Amino acid sequence: MRKLRFFFVLFLTLGCFSQNKQLLYNFTSVPQSMLTNPGSDFKYNWYVGIPLLSGISANIGSSGFSAFDLYANDGVDFNTKLRDVVFSSSKNDKIALNEQIEFFNGGFKIGSDEGDSYVSFGMYQELDFLLYMPKDLVVLALDGNKDYLGRVFNLGDFNVKGELLSVFHLGLHKKVNEKLILGVRGKIYSSLFNISSTKNSGYVYTVPAENAAYKQIIASNLMLNSSGFLNYTQNYTGNAASDISKKTLLGGNLGLGFDAGLTYYPKQNIQFTASISDVGFIRHNKQVENYSYKGFYVHEGLTPDFITGSSTIPTISTKFNDALPFETLHKKYTTWRPIKLNTSLQYSFGEPENSGCNCNGNEMEYMNSLGAQLFVMSTPRVPFMALTGYYRRRVSNALEMKATYTLDSFSRRNIGLGLSTTLSKVNFYFLADNLLEYRDISKAKSLSFQLGLNIIFSDKEASE
Amino acid sequence: MNSYFNGIMKIFFLKYTMLGISILSVLSCSSDLDFNQGNDLALEPVIVANLATFDIPVHQFVSGGIEQPQFVDVPNFDLFKDSFFKNNLLKVEFFFEINNTINRDFVIDLVLLDINDSELHRISIPVPAYTGVENLVPYPELFDSSNLVILTSTRKMSFTITMQQPGLPLDVNSLGSLKLRSSTTGYFSIK
Repeated sequence: MRKLRFFFVLFLTLGCFSQNKQLLYNFTSVPQSMLTNPGSDFKYNWYVGIPLLSGISANIGSSGFSAFDLYANDGVDFNTKLRDVVFSSSKNDKIALNEQIEFFNGGFKIGSDEGDSYVSFGMYQELDFLLYMPKDLVVLALDGNKDYLGRVFNLGDFNVKGELLSVFHLGLHKKVNEKLILGVRGKIYSSLFNISSTKNSGYVYTVPAENAAYKQIIASNLMLNSSGFLNYTQNYTGNAASDISKKTLLGGNLGLGFDAGLTYYPKQNIQFTASISDVGFIRHNKQVENYSYKGFYVHEGLTPDFITGSSTIPTISTKFNDALPFETLHKKYTTWRPIKLNTSLQYSFGEPENSGCNCNGNEMEYMNSLGAQLFVMSTPRVPFMALTGYYRRRVSNALEMKATYTLDSFSRRNIGLGLSTTLSKVNFYFLADNLLEYRDISKAKSLSFQLGLNIIFSDKEASE
Repeated sequence: MNSYFNGIMKIFFLKYTMLGISILSVLSCSSDLDFNQGNDLALEPVIVANLATFDIPVHQFVSGGIEQPQFVDVPNFDLFKDSFFKNNLLKVEFFFEINNTINRDFVIDLVLLDINDSELHRISIPVPAYTGVENLVPYPELFDSSNLVILTSTRKMSFTITMQQPGLPLDVNSLGSLKLRSSTTGYFSIK
């Protein structure tokens, strides 16, 4: 029961967010760090992820409230707690979930053993969900408008997007010289399911008036796009499993994107990295359904006309539906992937006791590294930002760790720890953040973890 | 090779994955949560809206020099027809406010009619003549669980304005108007 609760809270109520992989970024003993920076400094001869087990990550976050705030078994009425949560939140509070699972992933050196170029490739599936707190709409649903005369309820508070997609990627990584490494990665996206409603606007207001009781206006510009669902909402007779397989294998709504990154050593023990990921779009033209609720309605109530009569005038509900029609359309649309920027600056020190292995990159010739990272991601509203300070230590040739402290809108006390072990060519990594929140997981506002298994042949081993 | 590989896999999985996950789940605590509370969700919004308005200038009560003592109009009125209202309304308050600045008494009759034009409910508001001081007539009408069905069955609302006799004769030069504004307040309980 306890475990059930753990996972329920983990996956449903909190989820994981922000796609900030502060532990994974530049943690070059883990091949998956390449996905956050195609120009990261690693030196494997080749590597391959164990299919389906090489990269599993999940991330959930809720910036406004925790599961405890709503569901604490404390005898307080649920509706009271709900009101507390709603009225203490802002429209920029969000619930976000991101999950990734690698189907396969690999990379190899091209050219001679002394070559300095690598090719990496792979495919992963990603689930993204981001919902902003639709505060004004919730207040309207909780309280109505009676106590809010004069308040303008903003319909633009409704902002949600979600996607399940598969990503095929091919990257090229080149060491230009001793100081500079560049990398790029092309991506093909195949979207299985998408919902997107991020450009809404409109308002509802009621103010006391002179001639009528109120001046009441609804101006609505709401639109929700969806793709991939159509088959399943209408007398579906196909085979869902085979459909989803097809969509995963480039049969969904397709898109293109790229990542680019670099690592630069101004001095041997000072490292600068930067990357931009998921600059790309998806064109939705299959199984598209759009729901539109657009219009302008002034509610006057009945206005009897004693001269000409009003029996032929449409009823209030007809006027309302004509002014604010709910329409289902089939219009193609384009969504943009959330663009992610990562950058880091690192200072390394301490010669290793045994410098026999240089398998993880230049900087790990040192035992210790201190650094700072900045993460920025585009969202439908203000960009999400996170600042991380970290310490990396090579405990032994086989074990490397990274500890992080991260500041972002979810948490001011996010401590994370990552471990990467490479024994007998098998690399295993486990990274988890918000460790302090595990003291009472029900109060956690954000959690994330990544884990996986890879087979790595490093330069040294290959040349032996 | 295969068994070696499997062995490695097993060791790593059992040893590290389970260790990592169990450390997190065993060392982690969770306050007592009760997700069934979600079933207690009850929305209780109170919605106000315009109900009806009119503004009849005094000259409309005189046509060709002859007083027109009665006006009638029967607009369609299906505001509460939807089953949502049948299921979720607790009570409804109508509130009328009449402002008479004509020096004559009136009676305003509002009749709710069903789909067969049969009378369901009558609201009759006497309005005294204007005597030079503000002449606002407030008139509330409440529908609760005992008679809400009247509103959900209503399809038309008949307005009849009757100028009372006798009174000071009106002509085209008379001043004033008969105004009505009104609101409806719906109390919902949505579970």
